[in-house]
Amino acid sequence: MTLTRKALARRTFLRGVGTAIGLPFLDAMVPAFSYGKTVETPVRMAFVYVPIGAIMEHWNPSYTGQLGELPRILKPMEPFRNDMMLLGNLTHNGGRALLDGGGDHARATGGYLSGVQPKKIAEDASYGDRNGHSVAAIKAGITADQIVANEIGGKTRFASLEVGMEDAQQAGNCDSGYSCSYTNNLAWRSDNQPLPPTLDPRTLFERLFGDDGDLTPQARNRRNLYRRSILDYVTEDSKKLETRIGPSDRAKLDQYMTSVREVEVRIQQNEKDNRQIDPGMEKPGGTPGDFAEHFKLQSDMITIAFQADLTRTVTFLVGREGSNRPYREIGVPEGHHNLTHHRNNPEMIEKVAQINCYHMRTFAAWMEKMKSHQEGDRTLLDNSMIVYGSGIADGNRHTHEDLPTMLLGSGGGFLKPGRRVIYKRETPICNLYLTMMEGMGVHRENFGDATGHLPELTA
Amino acid sequence: MFQPRQTEKPPVGIVFDSALSRVDDALAMALLYGLDGKKEERLVSVSISRANLKAAIYSDVVGRFYAGAVSGAIGFGGRTLPVGLADSGALKDDQAFFAKPLLRSTADGNPAYPSDIHNDLDTAEVAAVIRNALTAQWDGNTIIVVSGPASNLARVLAAGGAKDWIQRKVKLLVFTGGRFPEGPTESNVKADIESARRLFAEWPTPIVACGAEMDGLVSYPGSSIEKDFAWSPAHPVADAYKDGGAMPYDAPVWAMDSGLYAVRPQEGYFKVSDAGTIAVLDDGRTKFTPSAGGKHRYLIFDPAQKERIVKAYTEIASAKPVERPQRIPQKQQQQQKK
Repeated sequence: MTLTRKALARRTFLRGVGTAIGLPFLDAMVPAFSYGKTVETPVRMAFVYVPIGAIMEHWNPSYTGQLGELPRILKPMEPFRNDMMLLGNLTHNGGRALLDGGGDHARATGGYLSGVQPKKIAEDASYGDRNGHSVAAIKAGITADQIVANEIGGKTRFASLEVGMEDAQQAGNCDSGYSCSYTNNLAWRSDNQPLPPTLDPRTLFERLFGDDGDLTPQARNRRNLYRRSILDYVTEDSKKLETRIGPSDRAKLDQYMTSVREVEVRIQQNEKDNRQIDPGMEKPGGTPGDFAEHFKLQSDMITIAFQADLTRTVTFLVGREGSNRPYREIGVPEGHHNLTHHRNNPEMIEKVAQINCYHMRTFAAWMEKMKSHQEGDRTLLDNSMIVYGSGIADGNRHTHEDLPTMLLGSGGGFLKPGRRVIYKRETPICNLYLTMMEGMGVHRENFGDATGHLPELTA
Repeated sequence: MFQPRQTEKPPVGIVFDSALSRVDDALAMALLYGLDGKKEERLVSVSISRANLKAAIYSDVVGRFYAGAVSGAIGFGGRTLPVGLADSGALKDDQAFFAKPLLRSTADGNPAYPSDIHNDLDTAEVAAVIRNALTAQWDGNTIIVVSGPASNLARVLAAGGAKDWIQRKVKLLVFTGGRFPEGPTESNVKADIESARRLFAEWPTPIVACGAEMDGLVSYPGSSIEKDFAWSPAHPVADAYKDGGAMPYDAPVWAMDSGLYAVRPQEGYFKVSDAGTIAVLDDGRTKFTPSAGGKHRYLIFDPAQKERIVKAYTEIASAKPVERPQRIPQKQQQQQKK
């Protein structure tokens, strides 16, 4: 371990014109007097939402306790058996009709992280609330990620990061009288303020590494036009930093800068290709049409944001709830949503399972990256708590109990992964969030429809 | 789950929370399922305040028996409701009336009363299952009937924002326990004095108590079990009755009193005290103090109604399950079963 006389600040940025690149955790950030002690690294939290549930017979193992062989959909996660927990019987009651009729998709996402049932929006009395009162405005609830962001968000450049992949439409009716705000947002700052996810990789990249205070739109355009890398703008700061860090930090920094550059190059390549697998889908220019490539770009940037401690709270909406996206790249040209209403047709079930497996493969590749980054004596994955799940279990019947829920990482030793834990039926998924908040250092007695914590996760 | 939007207020939803301490708790379940079949109410939640898996299995068995009559908030079609089960508490032991019927087999050796519950994880979290059922009801259209300690209701009360949504959803709580206007300690209160105290002090809606002074004034005629339940070769409530004592015997109906009053308050089966406040004292005794603005009342036995009450109990508790319309088309349900 190389120590300088004065430790490097955790929030050190490499700055250049219009650029501010955060740094990963370096040995040089450890104060000299802490040698031999456990180094405190931040805990991160992410919620990764996949639409329309899963074919649950290929998700739920037949056993409880220590994780062994995993079912078909979860197969790609076998290398992470000791890093994950599979949670059974968690319920999103706010996703249910509760006398409000259709709209399971909107309710599934709209209240997934808050535990509330979103309100229907139309002013038409027939779309009033369950007691016949007319309701005009959107209303859901503050989400778990934002509770944490409000408490600890001041410690990082971004209090939270909202990432998405499919649809940014915020107005209109997307599901049986429910606003598109419910299907297209996962994070809500308050009961009427959704935080739209960033879908375009370029926009996300600029947000993470740009410094708009210094860069005029003309300058940004010029930079993009000449395809100069943002790394070119921080050369001077980089050289200065290299004089203050040791060989292992230099190697780590080089690896990190390479990963930033790779993301940048891939974004440029996509902008060049601007290929789209489905011309019918609305996407920002430069957004990859290929699901896996888009997922990889977005998740790589989340990894970098976590590495550089740019944020500790992320929501990632992998697909709009109720998405009818086709997956031609894996031989499924039919829309996802249409397939989920399979009425027990084996061919349709098989195609939905293939989509579920595809999502899981891309997620596993991301987790591999998270696990490859070392932070002190733990990995970046160890220092995280990442929920992968959906607000619907069975997409055919629109059930909201026994949700597919997987928890990755140990939250810096807070969680005890490697197990399948089944709770009693109807246990609110908000109990999980309440427990995760505790792991983030945010203590709450109540949240959403929680009835308590899940002590089994930490014991 | 696909559920059409309800545009007309349905019959009142009943939340039944019981310790299954005596056979009258099983009879009360039969009464409530019977009234559900008559569309006078809908049984929307069943929970057990005895930390005993067999009690939950028995409740599930009764629910399955009446499945066609259940218009549950959570299940659909012929599915049964999840059974909430307490994790702990003073009451834990088996009672013969609910444990023995579970051992009964058919001629070919299969269980006479199969259940979906095999271990604790097949039961539901009590506070969540009651709260979730309430959220699915129209405002002011739920009545809670408690026959046992107040433990489960105290847990519901402890949930975030509970008083607000309880006040919005619940019309009345009928509590089987205590002694009124005052008297010695009663077992349901004594089993969890702290929860009972909290319930009477903090529950935001009106409460009507059915005190121990009501217990034993009316009995369920044992002859009804042999006669009125004869239509069913295997009836879990009739079996419970037979396993609950040496036949023929007349069983208590205390829990049924609470159920009948909850659903048919207008029928005048019971008199009701003036308004007041019920306090639970440190030693578990209950004391009623009249006050004009009080939210509490207690039931008073009316000897003139005894015959009517027994008639209602025997007719309704022995009623056959009623098939309810499916929430999704039968054709689609059959396809899903394939």
